[in-house]
Amino acid sequence: MKNKIRIRTFGMIAEEIGQSKLTLDQIATTENLKDYLFAQFPKLQSMKFSIAVNQKLVQGDEQIPEGAEVALLPPFSGG
Amino acid sequence: MTMEKQRTPKNIFVQGAISPEKIAKSIANHQSKTDIGGHSIFLGQVRKDQKDNGTVVAIEYTAYEEMALQKAFEIREAIFAKYPLNCMHIYHSLGRVDAGQICLFVFTSSKHRRAAMDACDELVERIKAELPVWGKELLDSEEHVWKVNQ
Repeated sequence: MKNKIRIRTFGMIAEEIGQSKLTLDQIATTENLKDYLFAQFPKLQSMKFSIAVNQKLVQGDEQIPEGAEVALLPPFSGG
Repeated sequence: MTMEKQRTPKNIFVQGAISPEKIAKSIANHQSKTDIGGHSIFLGQVRKDQKDNGTVVAIEYTAYEEMALQKAFEIREAIFAKYPLNCMHIYHSLGRVDAGQICLFVFTSSKHRRAAMDACDELVERIKAELPVWGKELLDSEEHVWKVNQ
């Protein structure tokens, strides 16, 4: 979808947001996305999570390409 | 002439617990590979931990599957490049695994034991640290806590 990004959430982040998938209007960068999420879901501010854009973990602030899949990933606990 | 084997991501996920029969069969499948001299196996088992709000009865696993499979493939390639291995198998549970059941099965084989043992150790560490998988510990009180890896 053009001008939209798909958000996927997992673990305790999914639990907090209440949905495992969201579609948002395009947001330019991962820091902008965080600002948006913190405003919508204030409890996320105290939760630890990393962000993957199109399945790659981002370091710092990165551009979000049009139509990207952006995942919110709490600390991994497999095994 | 040996053919260079082209490897692609394969599914590591198993729905529910990993059965002892599956593990036994996997061992048996290697009997025809007679250049192997040593296997190393790691089995992760769900612990019945005491938490503040109850006792763990099961772990429910979820994953970002597409990313986890790609990452597992990268780890697999790196470990194959680092150690002289004949074989490597990784299985991780998704969904509910009861306390006492197996949730992770890592199996490496080599001509001599040291490569298999070191590779198995490193695989387990990397799987736990790098795969986007989450464990929700279900308690006997109907509550839950999110698993934290050591």
